[in-house]
Order: sequence, then structure tokens, then C-alpha cells
Amino acid sequence: MSQDHSKPLDAQPDPSRRKFLNTAAFAGLAGAGLSVGLSACKQEEAAAPAAAPAPAPAAPAAQAVSNGTHLKPGELDTYYGLWSGGHTGDFRVLGLPSGREIHRVPCFVPDALTGWGITNESKKIMGTKPDGSLRYTVGDSHHTHASYKDGNYDGRYAWINDKINSRIARIRLDYLICDKITELPNVQGFHGIFPDKRDPVDPAINYTTRVFCGSEFQIPLPNAGKDIDDPSKYRSMFTCVDAETMDVRWQVLIDGNCDLAASSFDGKLAATNQYNTESGVTYPDMMSAERDACLFFNIARIEQAVKDGKFKTYGDSKVPVVDGTREANKDPKTALIAVVSVPKNPHGVNASPDGKYFICSGKLSPTATVIDLSKVLEWFEGNLESPDKAIVAEVEIGLGPLHTAFDGRGNAYTTLFLDSQVVKWNVEKAIKFQAGDNTAQYVVDRLDVQYQPGHINASQSETMAADGKWLAVGCKFSKDRYLPVGPLHPENEQLVDISGDKMVLIADHPVRPEPHDFIIFKRELLNPKPIYTLEDFPLAVKDPKDSGVFRDGKKVTVKLSSQAPAFSLPEFRLKVGDEVTLILTNLDKVEDLTHGFAIPKYNVNFIVNPQETASVSFKADKPGVFWCYCTHFCHALHLEMRSRMIVEA
Amino acid sequence: MKFLAAFRNTLLSLVLLATAPLALGDAYEAKLPDEINTAPELCKYVSCGDVLPGATVFSERKGQPRYVEGYAEENGQRKLIGYVMLSTDITDTPAYSGKPVITLIGMDTGGRFVGVKILKHSEPILLLGIPESALIRFNQQYIGQFVGNNIEIGQSRPEESIIGLDAISGATVTVIAQNQVMMTSGTAVARQVGILKPTIREQAKFVETGTKPDWATLVKDGSVKRLVVKPEQVGLPRGDTLFIDLWFGYLNQPDVGRAILGDAAYRNLMSRLHEGEHALFVIRSGGVESFKGSGFVRGGIYDRVQVRQGGDSFTFRDLDSSNLYGIEAAGAPAFNESAIFIVRSKAFSAAYPWKFVFLGNRVDRATGARSFTNFDTEYWLSAAYLQGGRPKVVKPDAPWVKVWKARAVEIGLFAALLVAVAVVYAFRDALTRRATRKNKWPVNAFKYSAWVVSIGFVGFGLMAQPSITQVLTWFHAMLFHWTWELFLTDPFIFLFWIFIIVTTFVWGRGLFCGWLCPFGSLSELLYKVGAAVGLKRFQFQLPRKWHDRLKWVKYGVFFGLLAVSFFSMGLAEKLAEVEPFKTTFLVGLFNRSWPYTLFAAGLLGLSIFTERPFCKYLCPLGASLAMPSTFRWFGLKRKQECNSCKACAVVCGSQAIDENGRIDHRECLHCLDCMVLYADSHACPPLSQERKRRTKAGLPLTPIGANGYFIPIKPVPARAEALAPKN
Repeated sequence: MSQDHSKPLDAQPDPSRRKFLNTAAFAGLAGAGLSVGLSACKQEEAAAPAAAPAPAPAAPAAQAVSNGTHLKPGELDTYYGLWSGGHTGDFRVLGLPSGREIHRVPCFVPDALTGWGITNESKKIMGTKPDGSLRYTVGDSHHTHASYKDGNYDGRYAWINDKINSRIARIRLDYLICDKITELPNVQGFHGIFPDKRDPVDPAINYTTRVFCGSEFQIPLPNAGKDIDDPSKYRSMFTCVDAETMDVRWQVLIDGNCDLAASSFDGKLAATNQYNTESGVTYPDMMSAERDACLFFNIARIEQAVKDGKFKTYGDSKVPVVDGTREANKDPKTALIAVVSVPKNPHGVNASPDGKYFICSGKLSPTATVIDLSKVLEWFEGNLESPDKAIVAEVEIGLGPLHTAFDGRGNAYTTLFLDSQVVKWNVEKAIKFQAGDNTAQYVVDRLDVQYQPGHINASQSETMAADGKWLAVGCKFSKDRYLPVGPLHPENEQLVDISGDKMVLIADHPVRPEPHDFIIFKRELLNPKPIYTLEDFPLAVKDPKDSGVFRDGKKVTVKLSSQAPAFSLPEFRLKVGDEVTLILTNLDKVEDLTHGFAIPKYNVNFIVNPQETASVSFKADKPGVFWCYCTHFCHALHLEMRSRMIVEA
Repeated sequence: MKFLAAFRNTLLSLVLLATAPLALGDAYEAKLPDEINTAPELCKYVSCGDVLPGATVFSERKGQPRYVEGYAEENGQRKLIGYVMLSTDITDTPAYSGKPVITLIGMDTGGRFVGVKILKHSEPILLLGIPESALIRFNQQYIGQFVGNNIEIGQSRPEESIIGLDAISGATVTVIAQNQVMMTSGTAVARQVGILKPTIREQAKFVETGTKPDWATLVKDGSVKRLVVKPEQVGLPRGDTLFIDLWFGYLNQPDVGRAILGDAAYRNLMSRLHEGEHALFVIRSGGVESFKGSGFVRGGIYDRVQVRQGGDSFTFRDLDSSNLYGIEAAGAPAFNESAIFIVRSKAFSAAYPWKFVFLGNRVDRATGARSFTNFDTEYWLSAAYLQGGRPKVVKPDAPWVKVWKARAVEIGLFAALLVAVAVVYAFRDALTRRATRKNKWPVNAFKYSAWVVSIGFVGFGLMAQPSITQVLTWFHAMLFHWTWELFLTDPFIFLFWIFIIVTTFVWGRGLFCGWLCPFGSLSELLYKVGAAVGLKRFQFQLPRKWHDRLKWVKYGVFFGLLAVSFFSMGLAEKLAEVEPFKTTFLVGLFNRSWPYTLFAAGLLGLSIFTERPFCKYLCPLGASLAMPSTFRWFGLKRKQECNSCKACAVVCGSQAIDENGRIDHRECLHCLDCMVLYADSHACPPLSQERKRRTKAGLPLTPIGANGYFIPIKPVPARAEALAPKN
């Protein structure tokens, strides 16, 4: 780093987050006199107990085979991984340890394979403009987390955020499809997301009923042209969505912003880290304060406040918004929020599997802050002098700490973006070190990863059943790790064996940009259904005999069914100008026998899985013969599986 | 020499006849198109209309097990009038030949049989013994019968609501098997289409102890069972690698399920099952074959595994299977293929025994033809896992058990006969000593009685004439696949063979051949009767020279048949008609086509003039038994003078005593004539000489000792005189 000091200063460093956190830019910033903890960097070398880095990454390659990540034909992975897709806007399912991508679930953006955004059913979920076209066709999904029961995943749902348009999508884990999307009101830059794990009040509700959402960007309220030039009036909110109805239950108006989110195992607390307590508009403003915060929400009190009518609404939104500003929550006994300070622009807040701590990563500070949840609750009871007293450790772990995972054996694994490392550290020892025991060697191991890791997660890490087997590291840069494919590089998801004392790098897995967060859990926890149920689709064409063209003036309904290797109608006739709705039911019952339906020149293609029904609407505006055909290989006579759409002039 | 020529001609005509196509055997080993077993359009390959009169249109194969719907067309409207099923689609019950009788069966919508057609059978008895029409007549008895009726072979018993069918005498096993095929096929389809109510078995109530047995315990208490198929069982060359090695078990039982799956996975699995649904797991711990195959990919049905309980069989669709991720029970073998299968039917109950069936594809090494073979292992939850233990299950007797039960009295009498003959023979010395050359009745009374009983009771009554075909079958069974059932289905033959094997090694084959073989007995009885009615002067023996040459012919016949049998059992069985047994006893001289009758009658006629011509020169069965007779335990007695004295040889009807006085035990039929002489002081020359010497010398005639001599007179010292035994 010292040689970087000699580089000419960047008068205006590239403000993009990725470049900003690049080591060179980081040093440049430091040189520009913006203190971002470089001094701490030196301290770290002295104070942080050094642990030998893991051996060079080339060495463990031989172990990859012995560790069995490369599965034999027919062998199945032992873990599911649910991955966000980033600005591909999708949700992905990986098998681990093989790292094979098994499935993609389209949600926020159209998908040409499945016809997501083409079929009427998917459009209804995605949301349309009055003319029937899609409201949004871009998305940026960062975080996905699944529903809980008794502190472990129950295989019902997963949720994923869209940062661009502030949408939350729910994925049904029985069919691995998106079934609802809700757009959050009053916010922008919806980033962190986390379901609750049980109800704070009713002990019978030991499962997920809420999903918490943090929004990064502050905006005028309502954001309708008023106060656009007065950033002091920009505000951010913390949102709670109902897990079943997907309606927004309530929002909390806060000071500063939200980033990531966490929920406690007892259901009482949710939290978001805040990197912009300053409510700055440019990044130097956002970095001005030495300490930012981790903001805690007292769920029971917020819901009581809503029940008591102590809320406002903004603009067209009917969602109750409670006041979670510092000013309004000074008395701990009535406070809806607690503000625990955390050094400079923290990133990531993660709940330890023992249910005791939330850990905030320093990002611009080389520290991790361990917050004792029981003490936060004490503060809410009025028994703790200051929320900051809940900090039981704030120890240096390395440069650019971002996210933390757990092994269930008391160790935390934090990604060090700038150091391109994962640091394994012991939480209880860190607490001892903080308490003054200088002999406490809390750093257990360090592992070089390739390169610049962002999110990290371990198998079952976010549950009480953390099993400390595998650690996946989402490296934001892959550089030289794969065959070159031009300027756009894949992300490098690295797999680390954490079952021993030392972390062992096992495998590199390329992923299409750019996943952020992910969760990993045992395969037994998911029981997807192999085919759909005919009755679940109100439009289903249950019998091939029900097929036909049904005309009501200009409105025409075409009912079709598919059974390999034929559609129920070898041809159907329309007239130019018809407003057509075509319904297709796949009557095949054989697992994996999916059919496609494409209409040339009409920009239609979608699939119907066994026993599924889908429909499309279009205007018959081009006369001629159009060979509709099955696009999804189904049978030896797949190529013959066609139907003639004849549009009469 | 004339008679030799006759012999040759008869033989020749027999061979010609056997190899020529026989008009009678229409369906015998008929060549059926391969598609018959697999093609969806069954009725394109067989004439379904023959068994379902009135039907003109037939559906493709459907259902499980498979059947075809038959429609009549009236005024352009299709009307379902019944069902057609191919027996081998439903059951592979083997008949006497060990192969199924492939039958096409028609049933109307009311569940009444309306047509039966034999497409192919391999029953030798129907080829040469009994006309095929007998089986056709037998099958006609089903027409009009309701499939739900209790139909059995034998007497009708209205009080038990059992409808009896007339059997085909001599082909009991065939018809018992055929009845099973008819009823199994009919009910399987009737259940599917709703004519018969589906079986609903009372569901098991489990005992839950909360224990988690390990793998070894699960195997020991029968909660986990193994199914192994060796390569040779599916026609592949023998090898060290198994064809498939499967373990399976029932998962709904909580102790077993938790032990196998672990608590969480068990809970999870059970939460996905509805009432009357049952989960079982299968793993493959070894072998080269997959139990999943790829059939389920196209058709959605696993075609290699199923579960059977009673008359119901349960197959699995792709949706009835899920991944088995691992086995918790300690000590479970490593596996490389696994599944959890769900039986979705209340017809299945874990309280009762069931079978896990693997359907193998067997390739006949000789012909390359493929056929399906079932391999199964029975499973029944241990009583300890069931509330109230295992329910009582009355299993229908296997066909062979039915036969044994039905004929218990005859079987007892027959066994008594065998024992009696053996006992009599064991005491032959006592009998021969009582007999003399002039009066052989002490021996012959028993022997002739045995003949008469053997001809009348064993031969004509029980039709238990042993045959060379059984020896051939054994050779094949020992080499390829031994099934006790095959031999147990004919209890008389079974017992007879035990007797034959034991006595052959103890005394030689002569006891069977000379005393109990029905045809041999008939043959020699005719000779004796011939002599008694004054034909003695026409009776003759072959000159020694010719006899010694011709006696080898029977060995040639035997080895010829054996050799042919390795190429074609069917041809060997046809050629085995060199035995006139079927014609004589099983079918009757007057029930067969003239060449057979002529042959059998010729042999019997010849028997009047020369003793046992067939036994001596042609009988392959005798030849096959003659060889082990070399190793008999007890031979007949000889004395030193026998080397030079040929008195016995003259009287030996089987010409088994050579010029050196030695008895050839391979030829000897245990008539005991020589043994009578042996102790007859008037007939045995050495004894006669000694008798005359003693008489002249005034010495006492002491009795004949066990060594065949007069007990020598020895002066006894005076002191011991009082103690000497009085002779």
C-alpha cells in the first residue's frame, strides 16, 4: 500500500461503489485527506492477533476431488443454495458442494425461456400498465432469505428484493416459482431484506409471518415533485411486509438510511445497519461521521403503535408509517427504536445462530462490532444507560469487512473486501479481548480468496442448525480465474471447507453476474413438487375435447391442450383484428414433460409444465399462416408437434 | 434276424415321425411375433376377435397389469363389449414344462369369460401324449363362468361354493397351472375395470417403541430385506459381479422409518403421505443393472420394480418416487442408486406379507430371445412392529402342495408299495433259500405281486411310469436352474425316483427294472404268461454274440437323447417316444395314432416270445440307471465254482451272466433265479456234487451256509462237544 501513496491524487475519484472500494482508489481517498481509517490499518498490524494465512489456493485443488465436490454421474448435491441474481433480476438455485446451477426462477424481469412477462399469469404477478404492458422490465435482486419455523428453514417461501424499483418478490419453494410481487411505497433503493423467525408476542407463532425491508436511498415524502431540492427533507423508511398476503403491514420513518437487515431468533428485534446516518447526498457527505449506526426496531412496540393509531400515511399510500426518528424515541421505555453506534459506514448485519448477537461489519473501519441482543432489550426496558453499552466487542479483523457467516461452533467468518480474504474469528474470544484480556487470540485463521469478496454464507448459517460444513464466498472479481470471455467477467463463487480448524479452499464456481447474497441449507429441508395440479388453474382446459375457438365478437378465446406429441387443435382460425386470448393446458402427467408454445411473428413463446395452464393475449394484426410449435423438447415427434394459426384477412 | 429288421424299421419310423411336423401340436412352441409382448397394439399381432366375439375394434394395451378393450360397432357407435388379456402380461405361472402356457383370454363387461385361446405352449404331454384338443376342451369349461367365482380343478363343492372343472388325466399339473393363469388374469383385469371390487386390506397398526435399530438389527428382524439376482439367472455368463443387489424396506413403521431416514426426514416423508399411502425405500448396493432404468422417463412408469400383495400388483409412476438422500441406520451398505417409492392404494397393507419384485430381462443364451423374468423377495413386518402381531394369513397352497394333498391316499399306498418291495428284497436270502429250481414261488409270489401291482396300480392307475425325459430334465435342472416345485408336482414320480436312486446305489438298478417298472413288469409278465399258455416252444433268446452287441444300443439311445436335449429339449422329448410308456400307460394303446400304437404293441408282442426285448436293447432309462449300478453297494452272491460252472447263465433270463460266470450288474434285473440255484443243493452243480458225495459217504447233509456251501462237518473236541451248537 505504501507505494500507492506516491500515485497522483484523484481529484474526483470514480464514485461507483465497486471502484471506490478498490484498493487503489481506497488509497487515493486516503491521500485526499479523507480519513477512512488508514491509521487503523497500521494499528491492525500491531494489535490484531495474526493468524497464518491459509496455504496458496493452488494447493487445495487436489483436495477438491477428495472432498467430493465433483460429483459422480447420478450423485446428488447435499445442499441447496438459493442465490440472488443481481441485475439479471432473477433468483437462482444451485446445488452444493458441486456449485452446479440447477434452476433459475424469473421474478422481476421477463424471461424468454418460460414466457415470464409474456403470459397473462406472469404479467399479473409482475404488474402491468393500463395498456397491459409490463410496468418494469429491469430489476436488481440482491438478497434472498427463506421462511423459518422453529429456527430453521421450513421450505415454504423465499423472498428477494429488487433494489431498482423497490419491489419484493416471493418465491414459492414448493414449485420454485414467483407467486407475488409487491412494490414498496415511500421508499427507494430497497436493499436489505430479512424474514422474522417467530412472533414477538404470540409463542404459538414460531414461524415467519413478516419480512423486513430496508431502503438505502432517502427521498422526499411523498416523492411527487415537492422538496426535490431540499435534501434535508429526504427520508428513508424501514418496511414490514406480511409474509402470507404480501401486503405492506407498516413502515417506520427513520433518521439516516437503511442498508442490510437482520432479525432476532426470539422475534423481538429487527435491525438495519446505517451507513448514512449523516443523510448525505454525496459520498463524502455520507462518510463524514466517524460512527454510523446499527438501528434496532422493537417489533412489538411498533405494532402496538400501529394498533393504537399512532401513525401517518404519505401520499397515495395507505400504509401506516410510525415515527422512528431519534427525536421521537428518546425514552427507552416507549422507544420504537434503539440506535447502537457502529464505526464508519458499516456494512452487513448478521445474527449469530446462538441467537445472542448481531454483528455489524465495519467496511471502512477494519472492525467487527458485536452487539449483545439481551442488552438491547435491557435498554428498551430502561435498564441500560446507553444503547452503545450493548456493544460487547469491537475488534479489528482486517481491511474492508463486509459480511459475516457462522459455523455453529462459535466462530464467525467475515469477508475482507480490501484484503481479499476471509477471516475466521471467535466471537466469545473477541468479547474477552474487548473486556481486556489481551491474550485472547480471537482470529483463528485467514484465507486468501480470489478476489475481493462481498457476501459470504455458510451451510445453515442463518439458522439455529448452523452445521459448519461449507462456506461460500461471493467474490466480486474473478479476473484470471476462468477462461477469458472478453471484458465482462463472471463472478467467482468460491467454496471453502470449514469443517476443520483451517479453512480449505475447495472450488471456484463461475456465476453469471451478478449474484449478491445467498443461503445454503440441507437438501432435506426442501420438497419441491414434481408437477402441477390441474385444478389449481382456473382456466385449465381439462379435456382435449374442450379445445376450440370461442368467439364473442372481436374477442376470441382459443383453448388448447398439449399431450406429446400433439396440440389438441392441429389448426385454429382467427380474423385480422381479433383480440385473442390463447389458453394452453399441458395435460401430460409425466414428470419433466414440459411443452413450449411459440407463435412466429407474434413475439409469443412460453412453456407449460406438466398439468400447468398458461395464457397469452395478443391482437391478430397480421394475416397469414403461422406455425405455432412446441419449443421445449418433449418427444421423438417434437418437431412434428405444431398447430397452424390461420389469420384470415 | 427278421426281428432285428423289424426293430430297425420301427425305430426308423419313430424317428421320422418325431421329426416330422405334427398336425396335432398347433401351439406347441409356436413362433409368436416379438411384438406380442411389447407392442401397444396387441390385437394387431393376435386375433383378439377370436376370444371376444363381436368385437371389431380394439384399444391399445392399457392398465397395470395390461389389457385391451374390445368394442363392437353399432350404427357407427362404438360400444365397449369386453376385455382381452394376454396371460403373460399378467402372470408368468409356469406349467409342467416350466414355461407358461401363453393364453389369450376374452372377458365380457359382466366379468364372464367368453373366449380362451392357447397361443403357445411348451407342454410335451400335449405334443405327443394328449391331443391339444384336450386342453382346448378343458378351456371351454370357462366359457360363461363369472371371474369372481371360486373355480378349482376337481369336484364341484356347492357347500363351499366351489365350481369344479374336469381335469385332463395325465396332465394335472398343466391344468392346475392353467386354472391359476385364467383366474389370476381374469381377476386382475376385472379389478381394474371395476367388475370386481378392489381388495381393501385392513391397514397395519404399528407398535412404536422409539428405538432406533441399526442396520444389522433391521436386517435380522426382517425390516430390511435383500433381493439378489445373479448374472446366470438372466442368461448372462456367470461372474463375480452380481446382476443386481438390492435392499428394501417399509418406511411407514415409525421405528423402522426413523431408523432408516432419521427423525426429520421420516417426519417430512410421512407429512407428504395421505391415508392408505405407503413408502418403501430401495437401494442398490451392488450389481451392474439399474432398478430404475430409463423407461420412466418416457412413460412415467418404473418398469423394473413393483410390489405385489396377494393378487394385486402395484407399480410406481415417476410421481410416486422421491429421492432417498441417505440411510441413517449405522452399518448400512454403501449404495449407488436409491429411491423412495410410494404405494398409493388401500389395497396394500403392511400388516400382511408382500413381495418386492424386480423384473429382469432374461436372454436365452441359445436363441438370443428375450423374456421377462420376475425375481422377488417376500417382506412381512416383524410381529414386534405390529399391534397384535401378524394377522393370520391363509395362503393358497402351491400347486404341488395341492396335488400332494389331493392324492394323499394313493401317495401313502404307493410309498408303502415301494417300502414293501425294498424290504422283501432286503430279505431275499431267506426267500431264495426257501425256493428251489422247481419251486420258485417263495420268491416269485412277491415278484409277481409286485409286477401286477406295478402294472395295474402304478402304471395304468397312477400313470407313474418313470421316463428318460425326467433324467434329461434333471440334467438340465442341475446345470441351470433347479426348482423343487418342478419335481414335486408329480408326487408318484418324485417318490419313485427317490426309490430308484437309493436302490440303484444300494443293490443296482435291477430292483426297479425287474420288480417295479410298469412297462418292464408288463413285458416280462407277458413272457411268463406266454410260456404258461403253451407258447414256450416259440420263445427264444438272442444268441450270446448278438446279445452282447445289441445290449449297447440302449446306451447309444441314452447318450443320443442327452446330446439332443442340449440343443433342443423339445426334440429330445419327441425322440424320447422310443419309450413306449406314454402309449402304453399314459394315453392308452388305442388312443394314439397308429405308428405309436404299432410300436408299443410290437414291443409288447415281441415280449411274448423273447424276454424283455425293450429293456435289454432299447431302454434309455435302463441305460442311464445301468451306469450307476456299477457302483451298487451289495451285489448278488457268487461262489468260486461259478467261474467254470455256467448253470446259472443258462437260466438267466436277462442274459446277464457271461461265459466266466460273472454277473453283469448293469444288465441284471434281480430276478433272483441264480440266487435260488445258489442255495439249491439239487440245482447248483457244486452243491449237487457235494450232496451226492455226502449221501454216498453217509455224512449228514448240513444246511447251506451264507457262503453258498454246505456247512462243513468238523470234528469237535470232546470237551467242547457239549457246548457246540446243534446244527
